Amino acid sequence: MSASGSVGGTARREPHAPEATLGRKADYLHADSTLRSWFLTTDHKRIAILYLASITGFFVIGAVAAGVVRLALIVPNGAIMTNDTYNKAFTIHGVVMVWFFLIPSIPATFGNFLIPLMIGAKDLAFPKLNLTSWYVFMAGAFFTLVSLVLGGVDTGWTFYAPLSTAFSNTWVLPALIGVTIVGFSSILTGLNFVVTIHTMRAPGMTWFKLPIFVWAHYATSLIFLLATPVITTALILLIMERGFHIGVFDPAYGGDPVLFQHLFWFYSHPAVYIMVLPGMGVISEIVPAFAQKKLFGYRFVAYASIGLASVTFFVWGHHMFVNGQSDLASLVFSALSFAVAVPSAVKVYNWTATIHKGSLRLDTPMLYAMGYIGLFVLGGLTGLYLATLAINQHIHATYFVVAHFHYIMVGGTVLAFLGGLHFWWPKFTGRMYSEPWGRVSAMLIFIGFNVTFFPQFILGYLGMPRRYATYPVEFQLLNVLSSAGATILAAGYIFPMLYLVYSLWFGCKAPANPWNAKGLEWETGSPPPKHNFLSPPAVPRIPYDYPIQAQEAQDQHG
Amino acid sequence: MSKGLADGVGVARAGHFETVAQQRAAATLGIWAWLITELLLFSALFLVALIVRIQHPEATVAAAKHLKFWIGATNTVVLICSSLTMSMAIEFSRIGWQRAMVRAMLATAALGGLFLVLKGYEYYADWDEHMMPFLGSRPFALAETPPARLFVNLYYVATILHAVHLFTGIALLLGMTWMAAKAGFLSRHQNWIEVYGLYWHFIDLVWVLAFPILYVVNR
Repeated sequence: MSASGSVGGTARREPHAPEATLGRKADYLHADSTLRSWFLTTDHKRIAILYLASITGFFVIGAVAAGVVRLALIVPNGAIMTNDTYNKAFTIHGVVMVWFFLIPSIPATFGNFLIPLMIGAKDLAFPKLNLTSWYVFMAGAFFTLVSLVLGGVDTGWTFYAPLSTAFSNTWVLPALIGVTIVGFSSILTGLNFVVTIHTMRAPGMTWFKLPIFVWAHYATSLIFLLATPVITTALILLIMERGFHIGVFDPAYGGDPVLFQHLFWFYSHPAVYIMVLPGMGVISEIVPAFAQKKLFGYRFVAYASIGLASVTFFVWGHHMFVNGQSDLASLVFSALSFAVAVPSAVKVYNWTATIHKGSLRLDTPMLYAMGYIGLFVLGGLTGLYLATLAINQHIHATYFVVAHFHYIMVGGTVLAFLGGLHFWWPKFTGRMYSEPWGRVSAMLIFIGFNVTFFPQFILGYLGMPRRYATYPVEFQLLNVLSSAGATILAAGYIFPMLYLVYSLWFGCKAPANPWNAKGLEWETGSPPPKHNFLSPPAVPRIPYDYPIQAQEAQDQHG
Repeated sequence: MSKGLADGVGVARAGHFETVAQQRAAATLGIWAWLITELLLFSALFLVALIVRIQHPEATVAAAKHLKFWIGATNTVVLICSSLTMSMAIEFSRIGWQRAMVRAMLATAALGGLFLVLKGYEYYADWDEHMMPFLGSRPFALAETPPARLFVNLYYVATILHAVHLFTGIALLLGMTWMAAKAGFLSRHQNWIEVYGLYWHFIDLVWVLAFPILYVVNR
């Protein structure tokens, strides 16, 4: 790239052996190779790989279901599949993507792998609990997959009562049980991270030397701990109502369906930040590394993580503007929802300020990071439309909402996930991936994503409701455009699956620090030895100790 | 918490911790974090029950009067006693009286079992009175207003969830007692008793919250 800086730009991708060459038997991947050693491992790095493999599987299932939905919407009259099939397809897409991909993706894979490395610990505080949480995750997935195999669910991923408790004739119960179980996996992971970050930091690794990735996971873990139990209550109540007629939500049993929405969104709005905050952590690692510049306003980015995690508990009511809650409640929730923009903007400004006058290299992880920033800004700004009471009345439950949350959740989480996957791939596997193919797929995903979801803003504004299998014929052009975009997006997803797997066997050997990045995880071999560090790592003087540090003094005093 | 331990009582350090103090701190923080999640699990139910009470006082009071106050009150006393025996077990573990500790743990489990027996009897009495709105075969006999039904439903969900916790707690306690009776346990895993004790006190605490909210308020 022409933008390649002079800061070690050439030496970095040479396939020479890692500096601290490990014996092949010493790294965590090869230390022991039996099946038993993988499925009963308590090594956080191996558990991360278990998660990565299973989560990739769920992503494929969710993506195929999305493809089915976009296929059905090519024609306006629902001629391609029955309404019933369509309902099941978008429900599978939502349930699998939200509960089994987006929420666990970055914390369970990158968080598991990197948090102990980044804080200089040998493992998470509770290694057995960590393995347990993977099994809990897989048990939840089993129940949900059972419901899919038996014939699917048609309630949407939100399981709104009383549709889910009384009217749906599909396999709601196993899906509900699966989602309830997977919540416990989140809680255990979050608990492990909180305890680890509090008690396992290497000597000298103070709170304000922690990478932002760790701060973001700390904030995320707090949401895991404080929000997930509430949705567990809601789901347990749904299960009791559907299974045993102990009613709390269905008016026929004396219940109140709006109560379900309160309990559901009290979790599920914070859940958006479970998906977004870890992504922000990933971007905060990639951007300084590829600008070779200290992260601008480190403390503010850290505070903004905690700020987002706090504000997000007070905005659930903006999902209920049109369900009959009091005007005062709507007003308060609207105002609070606007407050989310403040810490979000702090982060975006700090990333752009970090890029500014940096020694920029547009390698694959950086391309994903730039794409992330663009999509997150657009998703965030349209969130303000939805938080505005009057506009919300017009675009509520339309494709505008669909486009908005895909920009936030897919643009935010999936791009950060892929960016992080490429960034840490050498660390995870000890191999380099194909850089040209990486760049091609990053561009394809960015273009495909925008072609898919931007038309949906227009569709929603024009009044196309979400979750309908049919639509007026004048919406067809935009829908076909959106479906065409989905094919580009699909190609962008398939390429990494091919070249990353290829690199496992045929990629160049990765050096310990291929990006000249800072952070303790780059101080150990690629892949790391079984106990993370051969000798205790030296904690850096300041976080993000990159060559370009124009504003360092300013931060110290700020 | 490490102060006040007798000789030969302590924790064996696991490989990934640098010091025993670090290991203890992790265990303590871990259990507190878990208890906060458990409290939130119940608090959503209690909050809803309180709101129903505030919004529909007559209907809920009429329904609440059918709850078996004296069984609930006895159970409160039973659980508070069990917390006392659990605290004694923790004290015994600190001074290294292993046999007394095991006995205190067994007493705790027995009191927990007594609670479940009494609760079971209460459910039987409810069933006898046609108080279970979810049983089609036993038509609901209380005032058929939606808030009354909702309140009674919440009562069942909250108490069943508590009973499940208590049952799990007893099972864990018995399993741990079996291990704790072996020689050398207190020199390796004393903090297990401390950590578990917090969980038991929590089960007690949830009932101490549930009893007034469900049985007593406005009575």
